[in-house]
Amino acid sequence: MRKYSLIKILSLLAFVFVGCEDAIEIDQPGRLDADAAFQTVEDLQSGLYGVYDDTDLTQEIQFSAIFTDELAIGFSNGGQGISDYGFVLNAGSDAPQAFWTRWYTAINSANRVLEAAETIMPAEGEESLYNDILGQTYALRAFAHFQLESYFTTDYTDDSALGVIALDYVPTIDQQLLRNTNGEVFALIKSDLDKAQNLISYQSNATFISKDFVLALKARMAAYRQNYTEAATYASTLLGRYPLADRTEYAAMFADQDNTEIIFKLERAKGDNYDGQGSTGSAFAGGWAGANFAFGGPDLAGSPYFEIGRSLYNALDMDDVRYDVNVSPTSVIDPNYPDADNYTADDILIVNKYRGSEGVPLMNDLKVFRSSEMLFILAEARADAGTINGANSTASLIKQIRDARFGTDTELPTYANKAEAFGAILDESRIEFAFEGHRYKDLKRLGERANRQITKDPLDCGFNGACTLSPNDYRFTLPLPIIEFNGNPGLREQQNPGY
Amino acid sequence: MKSKITMCFAIGLLFLTQLAMAQQKTITGTVVDQSGLALPGVNIILSGTSTGTQTDFDGNYSISASPGQVLMFSFVGLKQVKRTVQAGEVVINLTMELDSESLDEVVVQGYRTSTKEKSSIASVTISASSIENRPNASFVQTLSGQVAGLNISTNSGQPGANSTVNLRGVNSINGNTEPLFIIDGTPVDEDNFRSLNPQDIASISVLKDAGATAIYGNRGANGVVIIETRQGSYNAPLQVNATSILSFSTLQSNDYDALSGPEQLGLERDYGSGRGVGMTDAEIAASPNFDWVDFFFRTGVTKNNTVSLSSGGDKSTQFTSLGFYDAQGILKDSDLKRFNIRNNVAGRSENNRFNYGSNFSINYSTSNEPNNIGAGAINRNYVLGAYQSVPYITPDDYTNGADLLPTDIFLNTPLLLLDRLKTYKRIDEEVKIIGSFNAGYKITDDLAARVVMSADYQSEFATSSEASNSFNALYFGGGGNPLAGNQQQYSTRTFSYNQVTSLNYGHTWGDHTLEAGLYTEYFKAHYRYFGYSADGLDPKTFSTGDGSGFVDDNAAGDFYTDQAFANILNAGLFSYFTQVDYDFKTTYGLTGTVRRDASYRFAGSDKWATFYSVAGRWNISNESFMDGSVFDALKLRASYGTAGNQRISGDDYFSAPDLTRNFYATGTGYAGNNSVFLSQIANTTLKWETVTQANIGLDFEVFSRRLRGSVDVYHKKTSDLFQSTPVSAINATTSINANTGDLYNKGIDLTLNYDVLRGGPEGFNLGVTFVGNYNDNELDNIPNESGELIDTGRNGGPLGEYYTIRYAGVNPANGNVLFYTKDGDVTESPDADTDRVWLGKNLTAEYNGSFGLNMDYKGFFLQTSWNYVIGVDRYDYDLYSLQNRDNIGQFRNNSDILRAWTPDNRITDIPSLTSTNVNIFDSDRYLKNADYVRLRFASIGYAFPRQYLEGAGISSLRIFANGENLVTFSKWRGYDAEATSNSSRIYPTPRVISVGVEIGL
Repeated sequence: MRKYSLIKILSLLAFVFVGCEDAIEIDQPGRLDADAAFQTVEDLQSGLYGVYDDTDLTQEIQFSAIFTDELAIGFSNGGQGISDYGFVLNAGSDAPQAFWTRWYTAINSANRVLEAAETIMPAEGEESLYNDILGQTYALRAFAHFQLESYFTTDYTDDSALGVIALDYVPTIDQQLLRNTNGEVFALIKSDLDKAQNLISYQSNATFISKDFVLALKARMAAYRQNYTEAATYASTLLGRYPLADRTEYAAMFADQDNTEIIFKLERAKGDNYDGQGSTGSAFAGGWAGANFAFGGPDLAGSPYFEIGRSLYNALDMDDVRYDVNVSPTSVIDPNYPDADNYTADDILIVNKYRGSEGVPLMNDLKVFRSSEMLFILAEARADAGTINGANSTASLIKQIRDARFGTDTELPTYANKAEAFGAILDESRIEFAFEGHRYKDLKRLGERANRQITKDPLDCGFNGACTLSPNDYRFTLPLPIIEFNGNPGLREQQNPGY
Repeated sequence: MKSKITMCFAIGLLFLTQLAMAQQKTITGTVVDQSGLALPGVNIILSGTSTGTQTDFDGNYSISASPGQVLMFSFVGLKQVKRTVQAGEVVINLTMELDSESLDEVVVQGYRTSTKEKSSIASVTISASSIENRPNASFVQTLSGQVAGLNISTNSGQPGANSTVNLRGVNSINGNTEPLFIIDGTPVDEDNFRSLNPQDIASISVLKDAGATAIYGNRGANGVVIIETRQGSYNAPLQVNATSILSFSTLQSNDYDALSGPEQLGLERDYGSGRGVGMTDAEIAASPNFDWVDFFFRTGVTKNNTVSLSSGGDKSTQFTSLGFYDAQGILKDSDLKRFNIRNNVAGRSENNRFNYGSNFSINYSTSNEPNNIGAGAINRNYVLGAYQSVPYITPDDYTNGADLLPTDIFLNTPLLLLDRLKTYKRIDEEVKIIGSFNAGYKITDDLAARVVMSADYQSEFATSSEASNSFNALYFGGGGNPLAGNQQQYSTRTFSYNQVTSLNYGHTWGDHTLEAGLYTEYFKAHYRYFGYSADGLDPKTFSTGDGSGFVDDNAAGDFYTDQAFANILNAGLFSYFTQVDYDFKTTYGLTGTVRRDASYRFAGSDKWATFYSVAGRWNISNESFMDGSVFDALKLRASYGTAGNQRISGDDYFSAPDLTRNFYATGTGYAGNNSVFLSQIANTTLKWETVTQANIGLDFEVFSRRLRGSVDVYHKKTSDLFQSTPVSAINATTSINANTGDLYNKGIDLTLNYDVLRGGPEGFNLGVTFVGNYNDNELDNIPNESGELIDTGRNGGPLGEYYTIRYAGVNPANGNVLFYTKDGDVTESPDADTDRVWLGKNLTAEYNGSFGLNMDYKGFFLQTSWNYVIGVDRYDYDLYSLQNRDNIGQFRNNSDILRAWTPDNRITDIPSLTSTNVNIFDSDRYLKNADYVRLRFASIGYAFPRQYLEGAGISSLRIFANGENLVTFSKWRGYDAEATSNSSRIYPTPRVISVGVEIGL
């Protein structure tokens, strides 16, 4: 009995001494090692879908709308966006952090796909797909750099001014890069776009990057840099291919049911990573575009926490299709609003542009390039060249778009001078691109020439006194975010002026 | 076979003999110690037989004996007493004296036990009497204030909520900071005790210094808490105990002074926003006044019943207990019900060379647990509804969820939540089984082999459903989807197995004693998770948890596509270690430990690590020069050593299992296409966090043990701290965790007990206690040039030090908010980046502990325990919300806002309601001191004298009433000063009043 127990216990000891490796060498299921991630062209395609997925505009739509004069504080507001609405912008604000991290994440993903592609030899018959993937990735990288540029550089037209960090490789975690000049960043963008132009197979595709996307980005970049000759060439080419939508098509476009005017839009589908409320009242956004304005849905029942600013509403004409697209039919309108007893409750102007699609409230595709933008670029080019009145001028182009939106033959405007022409462009594009993320950048680059600034209705800004902001204000360039300084302290020296 | 039958027969015979003798005479009596305190658990054996009994918790016993027989009384640490029963004697009362030759009180030290005198470690043992009969669902809450250096805070009033337990400060930033908990040899999940019955606990030992914890190597860095459950005694008759406790829980009070309905409407009218605008005085005065705190909170009733049976023969013992606990939380829809069965068995061979034991408990609990607590979701957080709802809306305003749709959403906060109470269910069901088996065999008199095998199984099943007719489903579903309800069910199972196998040697040569052990430990844990989310519920057939009402996917749209989730993770550890303990004359002792540890987490980088410790003691009172001194005991201890933390990221065994590798992942990408994306950037230098600790301690007992206590001074350093290291955003992330930097914890533990009056069992006894800890926490080698890391701290400062702009008051000139710049100048427009300063404050206590008294007189007893915490600073965002002018018209305000700046009221602490710079800058305006002194526990009761009970067939009867969190003194204005959290709208811990009865049969 006694000996038996001893043997048992000793054998148990022996068992334990040998059986230890299974406790330490454990491979968790479901892991994808870096070297196994990209092995085929199909894998690259999956990687490209990841890069697309890092590309989002809801943050810019949110920031531009709340910071400029597109919005007012809504009757269902629980404190959302109050500081942005008061022109409070500093290195700790949401927008700079959201934009900076979002676009560098996209650039990093793009660089990973491009690096992986170098190790993959496409099989016969796969070359075209392979090239197409590469081309789209270059184009997305260019777009990301351009978006960063448009917020963080002081002056688009100055090639020697500081731009952002140009990044065309996968960095290591210890790298702390400083800002490149605009000239360097634009050169990288241009080189990426040229590659894309050659590699991409589709001429046109509404929801994927096509050759026309590349052309449109070139047009926008040239306009921002005021290289208007170049801009006009690209813009007229595209305007030739993508006519302006008529009134029915225009309304359908914002219900995601018409692509007449769409050069490129980011598709938002049920079940994708943006199908949800996102961060409300903050530039982090990242969900349904419409959730930038309301908590639950379109119309009054959807609890709009931001409303159409009165100054924008007053610029809308009820005969214009853009009135119907922008203003919810459930809005409560007090024509005599300055004398309202309770302005907040008696005058509720509800944003209508992102009602939802596929049965999902507030979820809509994000329109990136529309042909009307090309028309405005052309109008700018004409104004810049001094061709402001008459045929083929700024005036005729403004008439062209108003004809399309009103569905009637509108009067041909005349402008006394260049400033007036630029002013008309800004006034018209404010309506055309309301809540699409353009207003802030357009005021930054054209405000001074157009003699326009952020202008809110006095009733919308009475509570905080933040009614106007001149385009010369330092806040028309975003500060580099604090979060970047933590890991890259050298950049502090390169902070934008005013911050 | 034959011998077995003989053995059984022999026991039978013995039993008959017992019965025969029992008819003779019953001897009863009370056993007390030198100070007159009743001694429970004294073993009384009829000499020469195996008949025996134990004293109950009042020191009373009863045994059958014949005149001339000898009773042997024994108790660890006390001198054995032999008494011969005299003819005609029926009562034998006894005072047992301290055994000054050897203090035999058992001290748990890791994988072995020692005596109090021979122990070289810093540890504290709490007995059952300090834990039992408290109403807390989790025993961890009951430990609060009982052990010097053990800081326990509970941030939720949910019954059974997890508490944060830190021993001697926080040792890690991102990893586990809680001690290792071991129940009867089983390492258990330290975050989940809601299913366990605290009444089963016999003792809790807290191991504090490196001398004690190094033997736990890979898991000992944050200290070790060893819990032993009750066992039967050998040769003891069946003892049945029943306890029944009824408790009433209520919300603790606050100092906010929130406005009434008419007051709120008046404010709205004056400010020009909300329903009050345009109302007349009469209309306002006639408005409803309903406090939603009273709606969402309630008086919770808790029923707690335990029955235990224990007995023992000569070769085996058993302890069995049944527990039923039913607690209502003070927040509506929050509760916990549980059922426990425990069975502990021990046995030994005839020659006593082989012994074994097994401890099993099966625990089932089901609880309603509201979620989104702490969130700003007006449609989901009931606490928000209680604190912030305007008082002029009443439950009568509610009809149904659909009617709430087109209305003013923020104002209707309470109605949205009322709707949620009716339409949302969230239930957690849990099965927890803890089992261990141990066996030991004495190979020779000096050498023994031992094995402890143990397992912790936890299966949690969480169900939540939101009805299709709820406001939330209607609101977020949109008009196109009338069946937008949904149900989620998640099952999480974890199983962990632990085995310690050892060879132990012990020998004494004259004055020298040597003990040595060789050990291996194997640990493996498995995590399995699965669940689904079903969208679309048909209210005609839906019932929570059931799937009859699920709406199937159809061609019409993507509304009803369900999702499934699953996850598998495995974890493991392996170690071998040795401990050697040497003693000379019970006066000098030295213990050394070395341990090699491997963790699966570091398999790709730094798999093996070595931890060690040395501990020594000098029992000064045993020296001859101490003869005749006032010291009954005086011992100096010192230890130095290391312990490792392998849970460096996240606080469970499974988090961050393979950080040493680069990973991509597959998942939803653009427009729903499946995509591949980067999911983890490798850290190839990943390693253990190591805590090195030095400790010097003194244990003393003076004036005939009237004053007893210990003092310990410690110095801990965590090196290779795994923390967030900022990187440039070009890496697609802004921080990566790496082993860098140090964290120090330096402090003092002090425990004192003093017997003020020793009146004996018939007299008045009074004792006072003090438990205290001071801990200083300091960061060093922060991973960047400046030595500062926002949200972490700075070199030389404490962990989690606040870094923000300083609030300077209200400008008397214009009512704007004033701030200090970095340099201390006053400004209305500080720089949000550069005017921030380190405040020297954080959320962690510097001082904490308790003091209290125990008294008894002839069966009446009274106990109080006051807890104190000093050095906690928290943001009071609940106050912010009440004082916030932007909330006027939508949420409730408090009376503070009525003294806002006006041209006629220039000197005030509330900015003008039209201030242009309020709510723009983060500042320390709402950072408030949350130090407190609280009557954590008070108990009063009466133990009936035995003579009154005998006729009723009862051996003991005790009734008591007690209270938790009865009174709090604090500057903190909110509902619960105890929560160490900067979240607002959280679920406060309650005040609890209980009455109970305890019966022994």
